[in-house]
Amino acid sequence: MQHLTEQELVLHHYHDDESPAAVAEHLGSCDACRTEYNSIRRVLALVEEMPVPERGENYNEQVWSRLRWKRGSERRRRATWQLALAAAAVLAIVFFAGALWHARSGGQAILPVTPAGQARLPVLHEQPARDRVLLVVITDHLDSSERMLTEVANADAKRGIDLSGEQKRAEELVASNQFYRQAAAHSGDDRLATILSDLEPVLLEIAHSDGKLSPADAAALQRRIDSTGLLFKVRVITAQKGMTSI
Amino acid sequence: MTDAETVSRARAGDPDAFRLLVERHSQAIFRLAYRMTGNEHDADDVVQETFLRAYRQMGRFEERANFGTWLHRIAVNCTLDLLRSRGRIDRRYGGDPEEAEMTAASSDPQQDRLLLSAELRDQVAAAMERLSGNERTAFVLRHFEGMPVEEIGKTLGIQVNAAKHTIFRAVRKLRQSLEPFVRSSACNI
Repeated sequence: MQHLTEQELVLHHYHDDESPAAVAEHLGSCDACRTEYNSIRRVLALVEEMPVPERGENYNEQVWSRLRWKRGSERRRRATWQLALAAAAVLAIVFFAGALWHARSGGQAILPVTPAGQARLPVLHEQPARDRVLLVVITDHLDSSERMLTEVANADAKRGIDLSGEQKRAEELVASNQFYRQAAAHSGDDRLATILSDLEPVLLEIAHSDGKLSPADAAALQRRIDSTGLLFKVRVITAQKGMTSI
Repeated sequence: MTDAETVSRARAGDPDAFRLLVERHSQAIFRLAYRMTGNEHDADDVVQETFLRAYRQMGRFEERANFGTWLHRIAVNCTLDLLRSRGRIDRRYGGDPEEAEMTAASSDPQQDRLLLSAELRDQVAAAMERLSGNERTAFVLRHFEGMPVEEIGKTLGIQVNAAKHTIFRAVRKLRQSLEPFVRSSACNI
């Protein structure tokens, strides 16, 4: 029998050859092919040791936390679309009803002759829909912030924290946080305004970090989150707002 | 609680059950994704996307099947989607690339493994990096995942013989890159 080709030896190693018995028999009697075969096995044994980066003890929790957030976002996005469509439908009905009424009334001025109840009806319907949409987006913002805080709080501070992938998101959160904080203060929701106010400097620190926090900075940030109970507060208010919005 | 029981509960809408599945399988999915992508952040993204797809497709999972195997298939598809989006996987099998000459060596495999140093590990990672997207994927699926060549062919959209040849090319390249190190570590025994 001729010597086995390299491809035949590789196929034999993975049990993908068509006549394994013949190859095995040849390997038993041919030193050259056996040496070649062992060489392949040795390299593949080495590859087996390919380094895979370690994931921390909290990895499973981080995966679950992100997954929960993503699923929540998807649900909320769907809810937002449904609410937006519902609001659009209400507006369309109001518009056509108004047009119809206007046509039947012979094109006279509407407001002076419209019964008060009819004129106010759309306003009463629109307001809760708008509030619910606002509530959904605030809940989304709180959820995103909670996820970011969780990642920072669960990270291994001794190794520093790599925030390079989070900075852009943190910048966006800072911008929306400012808007929601002002809106909350304006509408008299002091509790939400206070929590958003506590949240803002932490988000700013993440947004303005140089991509990686040193172990000392990471520990300081974690202490800050921990000592103010910020993560807990955000979780509680997220849950409360979430229940109200869905 | 077995995977099958946990899956039943998850399908019934128990979020804690799905959480348990995430905890059991996320590390293994990460290892697979990292071996295929060679990039930590990409592997993390694949883990995330895999569980998200699994959650959405839970209704389609046949309870008699093995959840781990099913999840690994989803992970492979997620990784391929990622690699394709980066242009690292050929959409069509492109035939034989240039192949170089190689040298042979001999020593004891067990001893080599014991002597594996950090530098050698880096060399293994670098050798894997030199594989094309198709070669790396086919090799990881065959070598680490034990996936049959027929299935690898289907996954990559190539014929069985082409899949076998792709695996062979990967092994050949790995030998080319790593044999000198195997030899040198053998000399130190």
